[in-house]
Amino acid sequence: MKKFILLSLSFILGGFVFSQEDTLRPSQNYKEIVIQGQKNNSNEKASAQLQESTDKLLSTTPGITLIKRGNFALEPTIRGLNAGQINTTIDGMQMFGACTDRMDPISSYIEPTNLEKIQLSTTPNGEQTGSAIGGGINFALMKAQLDAAKKFSGKVGTGYQTNANNIQTLGTFQYSTKRWALLVNGIYRKADNYHAANRKEILFSQFEKWNAGANLVVALNDKNRISLDYIQDEGYDIGYPALTMDVGFAKAYISALTHTYENRSRKLRSIESKFYFNFIDHAMDDTKRPAEMVPMHMDMPGTSRTFGMYSKAKYVLNPKHILTFQVNAFQNDLHAEMTMYPDIGSEMFMLTVPDGQRRTAGLNLADTWFVNKNLKLSYGARGEVNLSDITTKIGRQTITSFYDGEAAQTRFSGNVFAQANYKFSKKIGVYGGLTYGQRPPSLQEIYGFYLFNRVDNHDYLGNPDIKNEESFSGNLGVNVKYEKIAISLEGFANSFTNYITGLVLSEYSNMTIGADGVKQFDNISDALLTGGELTVKWNPIEVLSIESVNSYTYGIDDAGGFLPYIPPFKSINALKYYYKGWNVKVEHVGAFAQNNVSTARYGEGTTPAFNLMNVAIQKHIKLKKDKALHTEVGVENIFDTPYYEHLDVLKIQRQGVNFVVRTTFIF
Amino acid sequence: MKKIFLLSLMSAFLFVSCDKEDDNMDDPITGGTSSQSQYKLIDKDTTDNDLIVELYAKTETIEMGYTPLYVKVKDLGGSAVENAMVSFMPMMDMGTMQHSSPLEQPVFNSSSKYYEGMVVFTMASSMGDWELDVIANGEAASFDINVMMNPTGTKYVGSYNGTDGEKYIVTLVRPFDWQVGMNDVSFMVHKKETMMSFPAVNDFTIAMDPQMTSMGHGSPNNVSPVSVGNGYYDGKANFTMTGDWRLNLDLIKAGDTIVNAYIDVLF
Repeated sequence: MKKFILLSLSFILGGFVFSQEDTLRPSQNYKEIVIQGQKNNSNEKASAQLQESTDKLLSTTPGITLIKRGNFALEPTIRGLNAGQINTTIDGMQMFGACTDRMDPISSYIEPTNLEKIQLSTTPNGEQTGSAIGGGINFALMKAQLDAAKKFSGKVGTGYQTNANNIQTLGTFQYSTKRWALLVNGIYRKADNYHAANRKEILFSQFEKWNAGANLVVALNDKNRISLDYIQDEGYDIGYPALTMDVGFAKAYISALTHTYENRSRKLRSIESKFYFNFIDHAMDDTKRPAEMVPMHMDMPGTSRTFGMYSKAKYVLNPKHILTFQVNAFQNDLHAEMTMYPDIGSEMFMLTVPDGQRRTAGLNLADTWFVNKNLKLSYGARGEVNLSDITTKIGRQTITSFYDGEAAQTRFSGNVFAQANYKFSKKIGVYGGLTYGQRPPSLQEIYGFYLFNRVDNHDYLGNPDIKNEESFSGNLGVNVKYEKIAISLEGFANSFTNYITGLVLSEYSNMTIGADGVKQFDNISDALLTGGELTVKWNPIEVLSIESVNSYTYGIDDAGGFLPYIPPFKSINALKYYYKGWNVKVEHVGAFAQNNVSTARYGEGTTPAFNLMNVAIQKHIKLKKDKALHTEVGVENIFDTPYYEHLDVLKIQRQGVNFVVRTTFIF
Repeated sequence: MKKIFLLSLMSAFLFVSCDKEDDNMDDPITGGTSSQSQYKLIDKDTTDNDLIVELYAKTETIEMGYTPLYVKVKDLGGSAVENAMVSFMPMMDMGTMQHSSPLEQPVFNSSSKYYEGMVVFTMASSMGDWELDVIANGEAASFDINVMMNPTGTKYVGSYNGTDGEKYIVTLVRPFDWQVGMNDVSFMVHKKETMMSFPAVNDFTIAMDPQMTSMGHGSPNNVSPVSVGNGYYDGKANFTMTGDWRLNLDLIKAGDTIVNAYIDVLF
């Protein structure tokens, strides 16, 4: 064997290294995209990451694929699972999009300036706050750092992209003392219509938004801290070329109060408790569209209001066992309505999400057991109760259209999980695990009322009798980590019972003008998702690194047909060269064709393969007094390749060639 | 620290404790008491046999369609007469012709103390003059009734020529209080035998199809009205949104559609 020294691994493999202190979560099936860190040496990466969009950061993570409806607010899916199947949280807080057409996944209400890191888990773990079956994405908020090296520090940056005339300006500022610290951040972004290959303008793809966040940390004593978070995010005039309507405004108000206790010398190691409230106000808009595209003018506002709490504790039973407990509870209220204005006749009004309410209370228990120096086991369970109801008379009256039972219902759900991690040596490890989980249907899946889905061109009705979706899944992975090469390979299989999808109601007439019919959310007896990810990082020489991230998912339903929203094999390969503050990256992004579609059942068409190249040059100039200037120049889709990805609604072409200039000043 | 943990636990259960209950909306009008404010006085008249006849309706103005009417009969001293023979005789004078309309003769209701009947006003007073004779113990009190059109966008009664050569009148039964969702709905069918005779028809099969005319869609889970006797047909109409709804009613006999009727509602 050759002698190798250990590489510091990229974030993609970051989860692999486990130490006693970092054991709250199973270390596999867990990936982190660090955006801003507190360490000084993270400034270089942070400067680049801050300028990206949340969507871009998500899209390069193995296992995540985005559903695209416009140039904004892409919706993340994990390994072929989406919406209610995955648990998307902000700093552990539950939050639910207000739009009935899924225009506002909650990832659209936060910006990299708010974030410390994005955490992706592909299996349940002790930190989950909902009983989703497909793991989840947590957007960990950036916290102000107490007693930082510099009392006042920050970053200001600006960027420009030629393709959509896209400008952005951002800043983060921190004031830090021993007792308290304040972090404020803001970003403004605006883009015109973007252009696909051959300068083809994609109409109604513009957007404008701002986002401001603040975090105050106060140390009560050396063990107790209070942290206050507030984020306000407002988007305006957001185009959705793949949908029949755009968005007039999308506003989110996110607030949280967190108390943390930490005592490294006691068995009760830490307690973190958070109380939170968030509110989304969302309004669709069709007034910017030409009249011939709008058969009937409509107003479609929606709101989503969530408040809740969690409290989690870490207890070191003995050096071999670390226990985590969590209780959490939240309430979400959804309201979505539609008013239609025909040319002839009276205006029409209906509720599309008839004032649905979900109350959830859950309990997690997990144990990490260090069996011996090679073997680590993590196992645990979550149980939760979900109370769903409709809170208004008109809402209850609305669902009598398709359901004659009681609106209120109680469900129990949860999961049990176990993961084992065995290290043959410091260089090679294997891991695997099993999970059984159930998730309750979402409020839309229970009470939805003619929710239009552009992918299959059907109106969807909820189904109060729908059963919980159940999944039994297994994963197996291997990590190899030598001095110059690191390889991570993981495969998974996820077998569903009562998989939730839409089934055609042939007798029903669609409400949306031009739709093909009505479907109702229902269970199909079974479905199977399999796939995996392969990540390779190779440093043939010190200044050169070659990275490859590959993901594949395959999904079939009860009839042996192919499931919808399943991305084909996708590969992102980058060649990186570092030299004296210069950083050159040449990137290839490609995907195979997706021909595994069930057009008749789910409305999806096939998608051809694509390959495109990006290049970026970054220069990091260190200035006096720990200041620095970071500049990036890049070209995305150099060859102006026309392409779209399989999950892009309506197969609208993505951006053609795009020149990017960004600069960030760090102080 | 335990306190904070406990507090958090408590707040977790707090969510489960409060709930609004705001759907107890009992209609006070259905109470069987005879309070005077329950019905609006349309007019009163004195018959030749010295009975004072007071005519009431649920609203101060009368509109086309199914109209429940309430009668009080008093003697000259003002005390109620509860054992009178009371009947209705509505008449539309169109100038060139006169006709009556479908009706239900009044019956004394001992709990409300009214003689309760119903008249289907098939036309508005813009077409001629409606006169309603209320005959009490053989003598008539006459009332000029001003029948208003149904509001724009609504049509609560219609007359149709059936394919069997007969004329039929299809009426939406009041009261109604439309909501988004499933609604009880009731219709009456009468045959126009002569200008003066409108017997109820019970032997139709009705196929109902509500349509949102301005959008071109229908609604699911409707229950087509079935005959429940005395000319009434009860069913359920599903209104998936507010706005203009047309209830298409096919009146079927022995497999043949005799009448294509419709009722328009707006809410």
